[in-house]
Amino acid sequence: MKHLSDQELMRIVQGGDFSPASEIYDRYSGRIYNFALRFLKSAEAAEDATQEVFVKMIKHANQFQGDAKLSTWLFSITANWCRDYLRKADNKVKESEDVLVTLPAPADQSPDRTLEQRENALRIQRALQELTAEQREAILLSRYQGLSYAEIAQIAGCSEGAVKTRVFRAMETLKKLLSVDARGGDRCLNAMS
Amino acid sequence: MSECHVVRESLPLLLAESLDPASRETAHRHIETCAACGEEWLSFKDTWQILGALPAVAVPARARERFLDEVMPRQQAVVVPFHRRPVVRWVAQAAGVVLVAGAAYFTGHRAAPLRLFSQPATVAALRPLVGAQPVYSIAETRVLPATAVSPNIEGRPDIQHVQFVDADPSDGQIGVAFDLTSHVTVTGSPTDKSMVRLLSYVLQNEEKTSPARSQAIDWVRQTYSQPQYANTEIAQALAGILRNEQREGVRIRAVDTLQKLPARVTSNGEVTRDALIDALKNDPNPSVRIKAVEALSKMAGSGQALDAEAVDSLRQKVAQGDENLYVRVKAAEALSKIHQQ
Repeated sequence: MKHLSDQELMRIVQGGDFSPASEIYDRYSGRIYNFALRFLKSAEAAEDATQEVFVKMIKHANQFQGDAKLSTWLFSITANWCRDYLRKADNKVKESEDVLVTLPAPADQSPDRTLEQRENALRIQRALQELTAEQREAILLSRYQGLSYAEIAQIAGCSEGAVKTRVFRAMETLKKLLSVDARGGDRCLNAMS
Repeated sequence: MSECHVVRESLPLLLAESLDPASRETAHRHIETCAACGEEWLSFKDTWQILGALPAVAVPARARERFLDEVMPRQQAVVVPFHRRPVVRWVAQAAGVVLVAGAAYFTGHRAAPLRLFSQPATVAALRPLVGAQPVYSIAETRVLPATAVSPNIEGRPDIQHVQFVDADPSDGQIGVAFDLTSHVTVTGSPTDKSMVRLLSYVLQNEEKTSPARSQAIDWVRQTYSQPQYANTEIAQALAGILRNEQREGVRIRAVDTLQKLPARVTSNGEVTRDALIDALKNDPNPSVRIKAVEALSKMAGSGQALDAEAVDSLRQKVAQGDENLYVRVKAAEALSKIHQQ
């Protein structure tokens, strides 16, 4: 299955054979999960989103247009799911719910450096939550998923111009939040150098 | 709209390298000549870079399992997950408590009336009831008359979904049914038929999302790898897991346990041997194939005859260029043991 394109895999699924499900999942689950995690700031919700998105992909495979990009379609489903999730009053992103970054640190990395990187990751996550949902969606898809503004516009159901504005405003806000604390900002930059 | 504003809105696109060449050129020229936009560009660049420090998080492994379980349940058809049917669940649980309570009642009330002795009682010896029929079976549903149930309710059992049943109002009989969660401990020798059957059932039918299957395999390995407790039924249950379990870690545990069972047990059962051969031929995980070939090699080494299909499978493995080297060496070792006999 690995040698087949997304479109070829989806054609098989559309024919009623679900065997490519695992291959498609392996290709996209990481991106979908991380998008939802950063959008919703909840690992549990991100896991549910990933599950729902791929189940929907299988159940509604016939809605996928063969000439479209599968990633765009999957992100559309994911973004819809996340928006619905946030619309429910009880699911507003909670201030205290920091998603801990638990990636294993390289063996040769000092504990201080590891701690610093985790703190930076938390600062970025918190800053992202300060954005409006629309801005967050746009910047996440642009910065972390590398999607074009045209694709983001298709996912968000808005114009490319609106996406441009959302990303710009998101960057303005993030710039302030991530550099206002000069010490923290320096630490961020140092950690990457 | 000023040129500054146009350029600034394009900065994220410039950072993402998504601007067309002409606009990119224009933006860079403006940044070089406009100090304010140049400063904005640098701070955007820093922010963009800082955002890149947010690491990607791995999707939990259970999420993949959960998804595949939902969309491809047909692949797990042979190992039946332990899902009680909602309709009969309450009957089963009610029956369970009724039976336990009934057994307790009979034990306590069918003998002569209790008399208290003036001296304290001492236990000299515990003697099993010779020839007594089993009084308890683990069943999904059971209906018992009230007269078979002790009026004493022990502890505080969790009773839910109570239903009142009066099938025939004229017969003077009523019924009460409910779900009961009770904790049962069955003790006995590893060779007791009931114990073997119960462990086989747990191995093959435990709730798939629970870690209990792996724990059950570990528990079984500790006991049934000892020669005195060798048991074909346990081996067959492990073979069933090896064939049907989706989780690689559980399959590895199963085949590892099969490999550690006394060779006569695995050799005696066609089911077990076939499962090992199938795993050697088809399992996608090299660790499973390694353990399978080790088990077959052990069988060959113990003097047990391997059938023609097993020998063919081992030969194919030896000749398979893209197979794991260790598997090929072990397959050759198993063949040499067969030829020495």
